Amino acid sequence: MPSVIELDNLRVQLGRREILKGISCRLGVSGAGKAIGLLGPNGAGKSTLIQTLLGFHMPVGGRARVLGFDCHRQPRQVRSCIGYMPETDSFIANMTAVSFLRLMGQISGLPAETALEKAHEVLFHVGLGEARYRQLGTYSLGMKQMAKLAQAIVHGPELVILDEPTNGLDPAARQRMLKLVREMKEEHGMNVVLCSHLLGDVEEVCDEVVIMKDGQVVHQSNLEEERRSNRRFVELEVMGDDSRLGEGLARIGADGVAEGEGRWRIVLQPEMEVAVLWKLAAEQDLLVRKLTHRRDSLEEIFLKAVGHLRQTPGEAAREEVAANGGL
Amino acid sequence: MAVYKRGYQRYQGPLTGRFARLMAMPRFAWERLLQQRLVVIMLCLSMLWPLLCMGFVYLANHLDLIPGMGGGLEKMVSINAKFFVVFMNIQAIFTVILAAMAGPGLIAPDLANNALPLYFSRPMTRVDYVLARMMVLAGLLSMVTWAPGVVLFTMQSSMAGWGWFTGNWRLGAGLVAGFLLWILVVSLVAMASSAYVKWRIIAGALVLGFFFILAGVAEMVNAVFRVDWGSLLNPSRSMYHIWCRLLGAELPEGPGTWEYASAIAALVVLLLVVLERKLRPVEVIK
Repeated sequence: MPSVIELDNLRVQLGRREILKGISCRLGVSGAGKAIGLLGPNGAGKSTLIQTLLGFHMPVGGRARVLGFDCHRQPRQVRSCIGYMPETDSFIANMTAVSFLRLMGQISGLPAETALEKAHEVLFHVGLGEARYRQLGTYSLGMKQMAKLAQAIVHGPELVILDEPTNGLDPAARQRMLKLVREMKEEHGMNVVLCSHLLGDVEEVCDEVVIMKDGQVVHQSNLEEERRSNRRFVELEVMGDDSRLGEGLARIGADGVAEGEGRWRIVLQPEMEVAVLWKLAAEQDLLVRKLTHRRDSLEEIFLKAVGHLRQTPGEAAREEVAANGGL
Repeated sequence: MAVYKRGYQRYQGPLTGRFARLMAMPRFAWERLLQQRLVVIMLCLSMLWPLLCMGFVYLANHLDLIPGMGGGLEKMVSINAKFFVVFMNIQAIFTVILAAMAGPGLIAPDLANNALPLYFSRPMTRVDYVLARMMVLAGLLSMVTWAPGVVLFTMQSSMAGWGWFTGNWRLGAGLVAGFLLWILVVSLVAMASSAYVKWRIIAGALVLGFFFILAGVAEMVNAVFRVDWGSLLNPSRSMYHIWCRLLGAELPEGPGTWEYASAIAALVVLLLVVLERKLRPVEVIK
């Protein structure tokens, strides 16, 4: 299975300024139906990367491949399997939503009758069924966002690139948009690249995340694995005599550091479940007041990647346990 | 099953070819163009002159219907290169007006609404986009240029006989070639104006202004510098000369055919450069 996106020392220059400075990475797996979050501060090169994948910019070095096709040499093949939702308003104001989607479908290669059918289908899917004969110029901002999403998926692309899809949406519409994105990957097997400033959105729907800064990839991780590894670091607070807890932890193969007043930082073995701690506390007649995962949020990962945070709390916990003779 | 009950399903069937995708845009544009009342009225008005010419052709071949007129009339109403050049000249005015009305609505709305990224993120290149837009104008302008011209020529050939056709086939070929060249120039001017300014009305005025102002500038250059090469700046004049050459009519005074052809070629290149610079999916600020 080829990667969804494969970048090999990709360099892009706009004017005399180098925007993408030799990016190399592999993202997603074709046909897996995963979402990739593309993050970075303003000017990091996210939009340039997306536009390069679409063939809008010519690389000055390296290469970019989408679903096995070279973006520069095979732009038609690449664009045939991509659906793109731009960040800014992009539509034809004096066209009805149905006509607009039908046109977009036909340009993407759908036969005329199928394009009309899909236009209706996708408009109902995004919640614009009742407004489908209205001119796009009369739509509200939220409706325009949905119309943009509809045009991106009308031809059933394998990869959908969404640039700030929740911009300007109220909380209910935002939830609906994220639900649609989740459906796209889970039910329809589409791969999604989600470019957003809202880390919560990315965290909610993405499986992988790439953080860019100054035209370079500064962090790439699998959020699922990240979440799994976070589950190993636990903060425990108990009431009662916890003097034998250290021994108990060692017996079950975990390691912990007492912080005083019943507070513990514990590192579990990878295969261990939190339930063992409950069992141990019950055996030692301890009352559990608090048991939390020491979880690195995407925001913390992001802030560290762009240099605003020295280390994430999870890393700090790991270091602390290690310094106290941990695992 | 009703669409609203069925839910969204990814399309995974076969895709159409490049030509079918290309033709989707003109089809939608023609549909919208013909919904504009002014365009339809102008289209109807553009048909008046060809109808009059048809009457003229009929009369020229049926002089016996006008009794009492001598050989002078026969000479006056003969169907020759001059007749077709006059026909082309009048129709050329209508094409400019039609292009000014229909052309700006083709590209300007796409630019104003930032729709180009949507087109270019699909399997469509900038060349495809220009071709598709040009087809809209070419189709519309063909209805008032070479199509009625061919009808006139065919009518004359059928009435005057095989002998006239074999002796004058060059008129038909020249008419089609001349009009196609004119359609190319007018369409490019309309598209470049539409790409240059985002407001439809101003773009329309620019199309009209392009031909009228350049004609004025050409005359001014000729008068001020006492030369005749100023006419090269006037695309209508250049085209008139080329038509006369193609149809074998008497050539007007001034620069030669190659000079005029070069001026038209330079204009076409210039307009293509404007389109190349303006029609980009994203604007790069250097």
